[in-house]
Amino acid sequence: MAAGEDMGQRILRLFRREEFAPVEPPIVQPADVFLEKSGEAIRARTFLFADPDGREELCLRPDLTVPTCRWHLAHADDPAAEARYCYLGPVFRYDGADSDALHPREFMQAGVEWFGGQSAPQADAEVLALAVKAVRAAGVRDVATTLGDVGLIRALLEDIAMPPRWRARLLRRLRRPRAFRATLAELTGENGPRARTSISPLIDALAAQPSMEHALELAEKELTARGLDLVGGRTLEEIAARLLEKAENRAAEPLPKEKAALIERLLAVSGPLKPAIVQLGRLTEEAGPALRAAWEAYAARVERIAALLPEEVMNMTFDAGFGRTFDYYTGFVFRLEAAIGGRRLPVGGGGRYDDMLASLGGPAVPALGMALHLPRLAAAAREQEATA
Amino acid sequence: MAGDDVNMTTVPPVLGVPSKGRLMETTAELLSRAGLELVRTGNARGYRGELRGLNGTESLEVAFLSASEIARHLMEGRIAAGITGEDLLQETIPDVDAVAKTRLPLGFGHADVVVAVPECWLDVARMSDLEEVAAEFHARHKRLMRVATKYLRLTRRFFAEEHGVVAFRTVRSAGATEGAPAAGLSDLIVDITSTGSTLKANRLKVLDDGVILRSQAMLAVRNDMAETPALSEVTQRLQAVMEQQP
Repeated sequence: MAAGEDMGQRILRLFRREEFAPVEPPIVQPADVFLEKSGEAIRARTFLFADPDGREELCLRPDLTVPTCRWHLAHADDPAAEARYCYLGPVFRYDGADSDALHPREFMQAGVEWFGGQSAPQADAEVLALAVKAVRAAGVRDVATTLGDVGLIRALLEDIAMPPRWRARLLRRLRRPRAFRATLAELTGENGPRARTSISPLIDALAAQPSMEHALELAEKELTARGLDLVGGRTLEEIAARLLEKAENRAAEPLPKEKAALIERLLAVSGPLKPAIVQLGRLTEEAGPALRAAWEAYAARVERIAALLPEEVMNMTFDAGFGRTFDYYTGFVFRLEAAIGGRRLPVGGGGRYDDMLASLGGPAVPALGMALHLPRLAAAAREQEATA
Repeated sequence: MAGDDVNMTTVPPVLGVPSKGRLMETTAELLSRAGLELVRTGNARGYRGELRGLNGTESLEVAFLSASEIARHLMEGRIAAGITGEDLLQETIPDVDAVAKTRLPLGFGHADVVVAVPECWLDVARMSDLEEVAAEFHARHKRLMRVATKYLRLTRRFFAEEHGVVAFRTVRSAGATEGAPAAGLSDLIVDITSTGSTLKANRLKVLDDGVILRSQAMLAVRNDMAETPALSEVTQRLQAVMEQQP
């Protein structure tokens, strides 16, 4: 791996020149944070273990984003102030028995994380440009760049009137396209009335007189009548509040079919960056202010990217559905892929995760970052050199 | 896949059989109906034996093992075939079909692996409710919902991959899983049940769509050993017995 290490150092130097300060967060991290922040794709591939006393659940870091956030919150004098970090270090991912040189269990990652940057479109473009530059520095000329923006779908869902519970459900299911579509169909009533479940009779009773008092009263009466203690970590209020929501949602108007279609149309937008501005623009006419703002942010970002990467921008692709499987991203997302051994494999990627620091107990500060997969970059560089 | 690193020629032609209890008795009974005799060799408490009555002169070597060991030994290629529960096969072997595609249901040891929540969760009927509750739970209580189970893999697959429930953590449970919520060790459970009476006694309810697996005892034969004459004869004989059953 000597060559790989040289490449890593070269990339790290590049990051430092761009005024990102190197950090070395711990390799062993608390597991909970990762289990909850990362999507299933990462979760299923994280090495988990307990300490020898069996008290704390730990993991080997599957990436450096969360560890860098935690490092920042623990060490920065003022976590709300702007901070720029870079790193070069091992990460660990389980790939079943399919582990090979391109899917190693342990590999070096180099990347940057940037907290509290000022202008989002400019910062987005700068981080993308830095990733492209680092890939060049590694000796890889040809990469396919895909951009996405999970802020668009979030904004559209905000614009469409529906019970908050439905919106939350759609957002949670965004990463599972089939379940997402099924939920849309359910909310429009396309599948006919909802199937009855074992708790439907209780909801019927509450729907006749939907109030929190009634919900609490009903729940309490039910528990007493059946001689049930409250076990399982949830309070009576939680249970009653959710029963009430279910009863109220029953009376809610179904989601209009044309709104569901609009959601599907937005997620289907893909193609070169600038034409996508026009396509998305048409959709904003059918939505509200949130999507309009997200669309303006998208257009501004494309403009900055074009200024920083005038040639590369021509070959970049936008895909509105891309990034929906990553849990913690909130806006701009991107992926760089290179041909290795006849396959196109991701060599790097990143994006904006504005909610992360706050959800870790820190200040609400915008954040974005990117990371590169060094063994794959090295493999792509070797291959492109051989064919040059 | 698991098992692929085992050289084919090193898998001994041994049948793993449950070493004690009802499972062992029912297995012996079933084999005898197939005209095969299960015999312990060495001292009566030994863990070796053989299966007699096969066509030809050979007998098949038998290893008496616990039901969960059978699944693990099968995966590791230390036995060629085994009789154990489908639940243990699915839980122990990441991709069962890749290791032992031939699995003959033996019609006993029926039980379901299910998701059960406290009966007092009046608002929870389906996995989609659980998905919602898990997300709310984390936001409200600042900890992940805990699922007590011995089926770590089955739980993760069913919760995360099939139903998108990701805000949970599993708590390994060796026994008496059904008591975990009442004891405050977990919020819900994934457990095996045949009649559901233990769950009811512990005031737990199975979700409407909470059956992860309908399990029963299986004869599982490793793919790389399926052509062994003695093993295919055992499979065929048991199959014939199963077909005669009403």
